[in-house]
Amino acid sequence: MGSCSVALAQESPAVGREAALALRFRDLEFVPPEVQKHTLQSGVTVFHVVDPSLPLVAIHARFRGGYALLPRESYAAAMALPGLLRSGGTAGLSPDSVDHLLDFYAIQLTLGAAGESTFSSLNTLTKHLEEAVELWAEILARPRFDSLEVEIWRGRQMEDVRRRKDDPTRLAFSEFNRIMFGDHPTGWEMAMEDLSPQRLSSPALAEVHGRILCPDNLILGVVGDVPWERMDPLLERLAEQLPTCSGPLPEPLAPRMREEGGVYLIPRKLTQSTVVLAQPGGISQTPDPDYFASRIGNAILGAGGFSSRLLSRVRTEKGYAYSASSVWTTPAGYEGIVGAVTQTRAGTTIAAVQLILDIMEELRNAPPARAEVDQAVAQIVNGFVFNFQDLTQIVAQQMFYLAQGLPEDWLSIYLRGIQQVEPAAVLRVFRQYVDPRNMVILILGDPEAFDLPPEVLGEVRIWQVEGAG
Amino acid sequence: MLSQLLPLLWTAALAAAFPGVPDLWGAPQSVPGPAATPQSVPDLPVRELTLQNGLRVLVLPRPGAPIASFVIHFPLGSVNEAPGSTGISHLLEHLLFKGTTTVGTRFYEGERPLLREMDALHDSILRAGEAPSPDTARIAGLRARIRELEDKAAAYVARNELEEIYSRSGARGLNAVTTVESTAYFVEIPSNRAELWFVLEADRFRNPVFREFYTERDVVAEERRLRMEDNPGSLLYEAHLAAAFQIHPYGAPVIGHMEDIERLSRPEVETHFRRFYGPNNGVVAIVGDVDPHQILRWAEEYLGSIPPGEEPPPVRTREPEQRGERRVEVEHDAEPILRVGWRVPSSRHEDAPALRVLAYLLTGGRSSRIHRRLVQEDRIASTVTSAVEPGQLHPGLFVVEAYPLAPASTRDLEAAIYEELERLKESPPEDSELQRIRNQLEASEVRRLRSNFGLAFQMAESESLYGDWRATFDWPRRLQEVTPEDVQRVVKLYFHRRNRTVATLVKPGEGLTP
Repeated sequence: MGSCSVALAQESPAVGREAALALRFRDLEFVPPEVQKHTLQSGVTVFHVVDPSLPLVAIHARFRGGYALLPRESYAAAMALPGLLRSGGTAGLSPDSVDHLLDFYAIQLTLGAAGESTFSSLNTLTKHLEEAVELWAEILARPRFDSLEVEIWRGRQMEDVRRRKDDPTRLAFSEFNRIMFGDHPTGWEMAMEDLSPQRLSSPALAEVHGRILCPDNLILGVVGDVPWERMDPLLERLAEQLPTCSGPLPEPLAPRMREEGGVYLIPRKLTQSTVVLAQPGGISQTPDPDYFASRIGNAILGAGGFSSRLLSRVRTEKGYAYSASSVWTTPAGYEGIVGAVTQTRAGTTIAAVQLILDIMEELRNAPPARAEVDQAVAQIVNGFVFNFQDLTQIVAQQMFYLAQGLPEDWLSIYLRGIQQVEPAAVLRVFRQYVDPRNMVILILGDPEAFDLPPEVLGEVRIWQVEGAG
Repeated sequence: MLSQLLPLLWTAALAAAFPGVPDLWGAPQSVPGPAATPQSVPDLPVRELTLQNGLRVLVLPRPGAPIASFVIHFPLGSVNEAPGSTGISHLLEHLLFKGTTTVGTRFYEGERPLLREMDALHDSILRAGEAPSPDTARIAGLRARIRELEDKAAAYVARNELEEIYSRSGARGLNAVTTVESTAYFVEIPSNRAELWFVLEADRFRNPVFREFYTERDVVAEERRLRMEDNPGSLLYEAHLAAAFQIHPYGAPVIGHMEDIERLSRPEVETHFRRFYGPNNGVVAIVGDVDPHQILRWAEEYLGSIPPGEEPPPVRTREPEQRGERRVEVEHDAEPILRVGWRVPSSRHEDAPALRVLAYLLTGGRSSRIHRRLVQEDRIASTVTSAVEPGQLHPGLFVVEAYPLAPASTRDLEAAIYEELERLKESPPEDSELQRIRNQLEASEVRRLRSNFGLAFQMAESESLYGDWRATFDWPRRLQEVTPEDVQRVVKLYFHRRNRTVATLVKPGEGLTP
């Protein structure tokens, strides 16, 4: 139980800037929990951490495979798969029975998909672990794809397609991806033709299911109040129930991104413009100096909070925007993109874009200050413990490293690499990979209310939104 | 070949759900009790301390990763704002990140006269704006002069220094939130640097300087545009509350009306802060891998000498009884949306638990009544949700929000929603429906203990709004006690036509009213 007392006031203590800088802290003593790695008889890898603090067990499944590894004709089926696994019933259970069992045992079940992976998590009270895993296996291994539930999913997706244009931010991002990535899966958005009954037929869904949800594609993670001796047989049985993979999945296709910059405009009567600008980023997730320098450079540019240049200048100094941030993505295996995003009132749209481009140019012309690099490094190093805040986070990291072909000690490699970044390295990567004069710039807004004609940024192409009313 | 037999593990659960279905797997089983056996949450080793200046401090040590979550909570929000000053609490929230007399400045003595000069110019702008035919050129000139002074003052500013100090120390999640009746400031810090929080926050709440005021006001205006003015759901939300609450401040937006935001002054915000954001109105909650004895010593040392402020005046306004259905349309180039709200009592009323359970019953998951009817059976909605809005402490609105699935109309959704409510008036829900909800609640009580930050926030909020941090753990017990008859009773009492306000988003030219 708590205890309560009343304290007497003291004289004013030393507070504020000098007092904060004068503080000295003991070293953080922390040994991250050890993650056990097991291999099931089927070859499935399982990462496991025991957490007896609460009577809960969380199991995470990551399947290699998603719409990005399948032809366009399978796009809708791959996107529908997680939802229909949840709602479509199983060979042995009607959709209502699945709903009831999940509710009755208070099981939290999530399913989702990204471009290259499909995932599911199960969270259950320890006392219902056996029931929960058995149900989960039934859902994953023997989906029914109930025809009524397929129609419900289809109808909701069609409504979502209609509503996509209602959210300016969402519309801007999806159209930017289309401009930047073209026919590559990253540029895909659900269209009405994707949602034809043929593309969501039982055979189409079963085919996608058979290619993705099988042991060869699976990595598991377990966190909770359960010893391995109890967990092992349940997961063996789960893996046994999954069908054999119906065929190998291809390696991810590197996108052929738009190389030539340009200004694209989607005219809309809005009080605020959404601006997305980017270009090929030139860097992938590999432990080399350019990669680490790009992490620090991105933090300095606009991903490092209020002290980053974009937020500091576009928001705090000028008041142009509530948010202004940078992105420099680094997928495993191929380059990502580098760029920035902001939303600003119509009357400061062009000024905001020019300021963002100017800030990028500054980082090409001169190295950042030592203090900026130190700030970005300190943020990562002193906050390193946050990588271990949650045991699920720790297990998820290991699952991700295995899936991406990264070493198990990637975090340590990352920490060492970050600390070796010098200002000259940040200058080098900006000069090599960032060219503000060649950005693909998308503006969604009302050109009649802009501060300047968008043509001051370059030749403007009006971009047609697909399926827009 | 894989077995298709239904595991016996689920037999009892399914037999309980579908009593009319023959039990194919053996003799009928009795219905198991609730699914969860949560740990006894009132046994959390919370240490409490009230400082002489009235600040309440809660500390909950939890071993684990060496991280501590800090929350400061004030029971003050938009309901405490006067007409004409809407958004002042939210703007203040932004300004409390601008630093102090030492943090965020290179030379405060150089800054101060410039800040005063800007305030005087702004006062002139306000007076000039009140003229019957305002001199727009003069006002523009005054605004330009303020910009010049802000640029001049910038030479003395160490921009974003508060955030820099925190993030350099590895802090995460430095942020704040303002609602209708609360403001909270929070951050997570590695445990070995916990003292930093006290040094910085004691300074922030004793010596704040609301520098860069006019630019930050522009930022808030951009935030309003981003969140409210081009977002169809938010436009409808704002119009709905304004129609339902014609005099109570629940009808005003937390972020403020644009016209008010653009007129707020720095002295006004300073006064609001000095009067009401004193330690006597605040609660601090700290949860994580900390030594509670040390934390409480630091609390006394650093926070104990901050002078108290005033108690905010109670919100006396009562929305008069509604005497008929209200309908409002918002025209916007987007697909239609429906919001229906019924006036209901506050969370402190004895009917509040039944209303919360009703929300679960109607829209809490695939098995819930209105979700099932609108999304799965009739297929006239893509999503439907319900909740009591916008706050807890005053009579609010039970809102059902739904997005029509074309070609269904908002009228189609209304009809179906009202039919489902009439069903409940005729017959109470089945006990099995409530048992499902109780099971979910039990498990949620265990799951909520996973997050130190969540616990810190919930405890601070409970202590701040209800005077007892335990209230957040008592609430689920009250929900568990709700009976089917309770649910039926509140539907009969509150869900009728004269008590409801309907808001619809329509495309220009497609409204229902001529």
